[in-house]
Parts: sequence; structure tokens; C-alpha cells
Amino acid sequence: MGALMKPMIGAVLIAVAVAWLTPAQAAGQPSGSAMAHTCAGCHGTQGRLGTVEFVPLAGLPEREFLKAMGDFRSGKRAATLMGHVARGFSDDELKAMARYFATMK
Amino acid sequence: MNRRQFLQAGAGLALASALPGRAAQASAQVVIIGGGVGGATAAKYLKLANPALKVTIIETNRTYIRPYGSSEVLTGHARMEDLTVSYDALHHRYGVDFLFDTVTGFDPDKKQVRTAGRQSLAYDKLIVSPGIRLDYAAIPGYSQAIADTRIPSGWIPGPQTALLARQLQAMKPGGTFVIVAPPTPYRCPPGPYERAALVTEWMRRHNPTGKVLILDPKDNFVTDATMQLGWHRLYGYDIPADFMQDMPAGVQNTGRPAPIAWVRAKDGGTTRGIDARSLTVHTEGGPVQADVLNVIPPMRAGKLAFDLGLTNETGWCPVERRTFESSVHADVYVIGDASIADAMPKSGFSANTQAKVTAQAIVDTLAGRAPAEPVWGNTCYALAGSDYGLFVADVFRLKGGKITQVSGKRYLPLDASPTQIRLGAVYQQAWLKTFTEDCFA
Ligand SMILES: Cc1cc2nc3c(=O)[nH]c(=O)nc-3n(C[C@H](O)[C@H](O)[C@H](O)COP(=O)(O)OP(=O)(O)OC[C@H]3O[C@@H](n4cnc5c(N)ncnc54)[C@H](O)[C@@H]3O)c2cc1C
Repeated sequence: MGALMKPMIGAVLIAVAVAWLTPAQAAGQPSGSAMAHTCAGCHGTQGRLGTVEFVPLAGLPEREFLKAMGDFRSGKRAATLMGHVARGFSDDELKAMARYFATMK
Repeated sequence: MNRRQFLQAGAGLALASALPGRAAQASAQVVIIGGGVGGATAAKYLKLANPALKVTIIETNRTYIRPYGSSEVLTGHARMEDLTVSYDALHHRYGVDFLFDTVTGFDPDKKQVRTAGRQSLAYDKLIVSPGIRLDYAAIPGYSQAIADTRIPSGWIPGPQTALLARQLQAMKPGGTFVIVAPPTPYRCPPGPYERAALVTEWMRRHNPTGKVLILDPKDNFVTDATMQLGWHRLYGYDIPADFMQDMPAGVQNTGRPAPIAWVRAKDGGTTRGIDARSLTVHTEGGPVQADVLNVIPPMRAGKLAFDLGLTNETGWCPVERRTFESSVHADVYVIGDASIADAMPKSGFSANTQAKVTAQAIVDTLAGRAPAEPVWGNTCYALAGSDYGLFVADVFRLKGGKITQVSGKRYLPLDASPTQIRLGAVYQQAWLKTFTEDCFA
């Protein structure tokens, strides 16, 4: 296993610990990380991204994430498919996702 | 690591995980069969969630050839090499072990899998993501031998994809490229229609009197209205009356012949059989002569799923929806195209999010926690032309024991702006990279 592995694991362990410390989620609501993982196919694993076409979500302030997703959901902000995706999540769920991405650096 | 060391590592792990009780728990062994989209993503996310787990992928091929984006090889937009994905990152960055071998059977009581290379690997949890098997014989006159040499399918990418590309390039001027579309359920629902579009676009430059004809056993398909609007705008395709009422103002059929045509089931598009020698497709509407013939036959779960007894009468694998644990065998999870996942399409994006939910469920179960509330997604971009992107986008939840789409509208709106359409194509190309990274790197 290369030297790259160690810092990665460190970051991951912190991330996992932080995810566990977030306020209790409503019954029947997926965790922030579980929801965030559905974004990773375009926005990068844990929101980390090297490409320019999609917005990297890691470290995004909660407010910014919530504003963007709220505007996508209401149609206020034009989108290709983010309007459709945003309509799959409730306010509380968006907040949990926002917290997850804000803690990712 | 060379092959022998790899194999020894595999054998060592097998011994360690055979220890019973708590010792085994601390370093539980998860074996994954199939290093495609589902298997690779599961391995990576297992390691992300719990680096102490021992995770081994058993995969036939040393490198993966990605199916998504593979139709671009036909038009020369991508080369076969561009489809090749390495397993190095999963091994070196995440510590996933690999055994390059083919699984032939298993013992669900002893919890051991067997390989063609006579290896035996023990597991605490087994993930199976074998993809699809193409049922060539379901079409009278067709067979794997014919597909490999004369009438390629190219739905599992490889030599057939390359053969089809050569055939297209060598097609006589004014010839007809016929695609036989599959019945549902099948891998990548918009795929056959995107392939038709890309070939039509290619012909305009390289074989301007050539034609593309889709023969279909269905009357509709995923993205149908938006894809046809793209064909209309780009290639002068006339939209059938039953799709016309939803079209934006100004969309008008011309009645002129177009280089792309879609013959549906209700118009006789269902294939009864093919004559490989003359490249004739016998449809319910009569015989159709092709110059290049691309048959995408009916599909079932990958052969491995049958060998392990994981399928039911549908030819796919029933699973407990929350975790994708097999309904047949405990501690075995079936994900990706091979699984029965209700409203979720058989797409790479689906396989990727199923892998993540299942990885977390396995980590939770091994730690004695109940599996968490699941959520899955699917976003598939598709092209009507190189600069014309459309998509299907979904969020899925568990509702009443079934996987249910909860996000409402799925397609690009029919009144989308030129910018949205252009961006869709940009995102489609970007997605090929970001998605491969999320699964394999
Ligand atoms: C033309 C085309 C375009 C597509 N476009 C898109 C798209 O734009 N977006 C999208 O989301 N999806 C797309 N897809 C679909 C996507 O590629 C599949 O849904 C996805 O690959 C399924 O993943 P999987 O893990 O189930 O199977 P696969 O990715 O096929 O992986 C299965 C793996 O298992 C291995 N295997 C099988 N049996 C054994 C055995 N006995 N022992 C060891 N190894 C074994 C195989 O070698 C293979 O590597 C497209 C598909 C095609 C054909």
C-alpha cells in the first residue's frame, strides 16, 4: 500500500466521526453521507473533484449549498437536471447534506 | 505485485477470515465478484467506511472495459483504449486486493467461493455484481458465434464493439445500418437510441446517403420524446403523431424521408428472426435488408448469477430491497444490472449508488447496527448528437418494500433552451470522467 493511503485514511476517519456527531436524523431519513453519496457520480467522491464542469461540493458553506438546492428545486435557478434531483429531497434532508459537504475539506 | 504474490495474498486472507468469532469480526473479509461499476464502487466505499475491512475483488479481466460511452467507438469519437480502466488506484490508494480469476461456484454454508484457477476464498460477506448475459439464442438465427464474427451486438464492450466500428466505416455508400433494439428490462435504457443518433450524425459527414433504422419490440423507450425531438431538429426526423401533442410550438413534420427511422412494435418492428448470411431481419412487418446489422438481444443476469443459483424465473436476481441481500442466500448481496431493483433502471449510475448503499449496510451489519435508511439515484446523460445532450434523472427511496422514484419529472423538458441542451452534452462528456473516478479511483 502506497504512502498516499495514510493521509486518505486519516481524512476518512475524521469524516466518519463528524458524520456520526451530526444531530439525530428524523426517522426514515437517510444520513447526510448516504444522500451525499448519490451526488458523487458527477460531483466527486465526498464532493472532491478535479474537473471543471461540475461544482465541487466539499467545503461548500452550508448556506450556499442550501440556497443553490432551494433555487434549483423551486425552478428559480435554471438547470439541466439539478431541478429534478433537488425535488427528490426535503428541507431537512438538504440541511443534512449541506452539513456533510461543509465538513468535507 | 505479480500474479503469484496476488494469489498468495488471496489465500492468506482466506485463512485469516476463516477464524471464527470476534477475531473475524474485527477484520471481516468481504469478497466481491466482478470488478465492474457495481463491484469496484462497493470495494472503494467499503474501504472508505471501514479501512480495517479486508476487501478482495475477484475479476476475470486485468483491466475493465467500460460499457458507458462505448458507442462513441463506433463513430471514432473514442478509441477502444479510451474505454479501458485500470484497477491500480483501487489497489494502491484504497488497499483493495485483487484476484484475477473467474468464479465458477460457491458453498453458501461454508461461505467459500471457488474459481476456475482452483482457488478457494472464504468470506463473511459476499457481493456479486456480474453484469448481464446476452441471450443471443433468444433470436432465431442468431448466436454468439455470429455475433463475434458477422452481426455484432457490442452491448458488453470488447471485440464486438471494434468489429461493429469497422463494419460501419466500411459500409457501402447509401447503405442501411440496422439496430435491433432489445425488450425490457435491459442494460442502459436510452443506449440503443443514443447509438442510433451518433451513427446518424457520423453518416452525415462520412456516408451522406446512408440510413439508420431501429427495429423495436417496444412502443416507447426511456427519453423517447426528448430524443425524438433531438432527431427532428438535427436530422429532419418526423415525430409520430402520438408524441406530437407534447412538442413545443413550431415543431412541424415535413413528410420528407429522414436518415433515421424508428419502427415500433405497433408498426411491425418486433424481430422474429434473422438470416445471418443475407443480413435480413424478419420482422412482424416483413423482411428488412441491412448492410450493417447490430442486434442487441434480450438480456438476463450475468452467467455467474445462474451458476450461484441467485436468479429466479425472470432471469434476474431477487433481493431484499433495503440492502440488496439475496432473497435466496444469506450474506450474499447482488447489485448492479443483475439485480431486481423495481423502478431503478439497469444503468451504471444505478449500480454505483446501489453499491454505496450495500457497502454501508454491510459495514453497519458487521458492526451490529441495523442498516440505515437507503437512498439511491440515477442520472444518465444521453446524446442526440455530439452537441445535443438530454438525460434521465431520478432519486429513489424505499416505499412499502419497493424501490420507488420520488423526484417526479425525469427528462429534459421539451421546451429546454439551446444552452441547456448544449450544456447537457458538455456534462455527458465530463460525467464519463467524474463517474469513472468515483467508481475506480
Ligand atoms: C452502449 C452503452 C452505453 C451506456 N451508457 C451508460 C450511461 O451513459 N450511464 C450509465 O449510468 N450507464 C450506462 N451504461 C450501462 C452501464 O455500463 C452498466 O449498467 C454497468 O456497467 C453495470 O454495472 P455492473 O457492475 O452490474 O456490471 P459490469 O460493469 O458489466 O461488471 C461486471 C463485471 O463482472 C465480471 N465478471 C462476470 N462474471 C464473473 C465471474 N464469474 N468471475 C469473475 N468476474 C466476473 C466481468 O468481467 C465484469 O468486469 C451503458 C451501457 C452500454 C452498453
